[in-house]
Amino acid sequence: MTNIITTNGLSKQYGSAMGVKDLDLAVPEGVIYGFLGPNGAGKSTTMKMILGLAKPTCGTITVFDKQVNSKNRLAILKETGSLIESPSYYAHLTGEENLKIISTLKELPDHEADRVLKLVRLENQKNKKVGQYSLGMKQRLGLAAALLGNPKLLVLDEPTNGLDPAGIQEIRELICSLPHSFGMTVMVSSHLLSEIDQMADHIGVISRGELVFQDRLSVLHDRSDSCIAIRTLNNEAARNVLSSQGISCQEEEGFLLIPRLPDRKLAEYFLQFLKNEIGVVRIEERKKTLEDIFLELTGMAVNL
Amino acid sequence: MKEICLEFYKIRRRKIWVTIVALLGIQCLWALWAFRDMNAKELSQGYMQCLYHFSVFNTILMPMIAAITASRICDLEHKGQTFKLLLTTMPAGILFDAKFICASLYMAAAGAAQTLFIIILGKTAGFTEPFPPGYLVYYLITTVTVTITILALQQVVSILFSNQMIPLIVGITGSFAGLFSLFLPPGIQKGILWSYYGVLTPVKMNWDFQTKIADLQYIPVDWSGFLLLLGLLAAIYLTGRWCFTRKER
Repeated sequence: MTNIITTNGLSKQYGSAMGVKDLDLAVPEGVIYGFLGPNGAGKSTTMKMILGLAKPTCGTITVFDKQVNSKNRLAILKETGSLIESPSYYAHLTGEENLKIISTLKELPDHEADRVLKLVRLENQKNKKVGQYSLGMKQRLGLAAALLGNPKLLVLDEPTNGLDPAGIQEIRELICSLPHSFGMTVMVSSHLLSEIDQMADHIGVISRGELVFQDRLSVLHDRSDSCIAIRTLNNEAARNVLSSQGISCQEEEGFLLIPRLPDRKLAEYFLQFLKNEIGVVRIEERKKTLEDIFLELTGMAVNL
Repeated sequence: MKEICLEFYKIRRRKIWVTIVALLGIQCLWALWAFRDMNAKELSQGYMQCLYHFSVFNTILMPMIAAITASRICDLEHKGQTFKLLLTTMPAGILFDAKFICASLYMAAAGAAQTLFIIILGKTAGFTEPFPPGYLVYYLITTVTVTITILALQQVVSILFSNQMIPLIVGITGSFAGLFSLFLPPGIQKGILWSYYGVLTPVKMNWDFQTKIADLQYIPVDWSGFLLLLGLLAAIYLTGRWCFTRKER
């Protein structure tokens, strides 16, 4: 699978602080790439650097197999749509007029604005001034502007920010449909794990400017394997019983943690405990949630 | 060209011309009041009177017009946070150029309207001074050049700062600085951008201390002052454009 966006050692320094540090992103073609990180982790800065709105301190950015520089930036971005932070709009103009400005700059035909307005279901509001739109409608208009010209790549920075649950679902469904319907690659950022979990195929996790995880989302899910926690009246003796059966275990807060086993096998061990007069007082199945993994990856668990 | 047309498209319904027309209206009413009762001598120097007084009026009002126009043309981008969208589709320098040309056309129209007003006033009030087309063209050129130089400065401040109080304060301060500089020696005047309406005026007032009579006369074109102004325009414009293109969003 070829990569649409690749960054090598991408860094951005603000004064003495590193906003983004040695970022090596790889966004495969035709996927939804979730760019996840806590607030202030460097997601927007990275996306702005990809779009040429901020200048990297060092490192390279390659989009569509071309290394981006100040000369070819706009030519490359012709195939790119973007929505960075809050939506951009002229409040005194109508939705249609707003889109006409961008479609004129992109040299697109007039009917293109109507097409994207239908996609985001704003066709009935197109003659209303954008100043009178709700936040959700403004966000949809921003998405419509990004979709103008059917770009190959869409860079969306927190597109569901500030929306109500219905609006979030609507935008999410639209984003999820883009790779299949239009063959687009979507890079979408969020600080909400659940958002990314419901949209993305691939994921990059950024924390304090550094990329701490990047792979398919399923790989992250695999990390959430469950384990069995057992509390006995004599953990030392129970540990010896398990060790004699070749089961490694670790003790944590008075519980013995063992890997997930078939029920029959587990029952056999409990019988062994009883034979050795080890009283079992708690048995729990524990599963790491994606949130736990995210907090571990971003080092936020310590703060919490 | 496409970008310039888009600038006009963006400001539709913003009624930018209303402020310009209102301030020009004030200037014209002021002129009508000043020239309401002209004697034979004043009529014989009618156009000179107009060009002299309009240069003073311009020192006060044109910087305001430039400040307000630049602010309104740039403010819509700050309010809608549109730079980060526009600059993925067009170079920052072109956006800066398009805004400047759009606003400059308004300034040129304002200058032309003033010149037209002087001509109409001359015909209706019955100026006995021979019609001076050369000086009127010179007045138009210098007025527009000074105004677009001030406009360039105002646009730089308006586009770089999202708080539009800053450019308006610059405009008002400049307007007063220009007015007070009219009482200063010409060497100092040339160091103050807003005083160039006075520096480049084609008419000079001679005040005879003995007879207490003020007399007007045409003076040779101050080409060195005009070239200095063009240099200022280039310096302000290029520096501002460079700052804008370097600014991160």
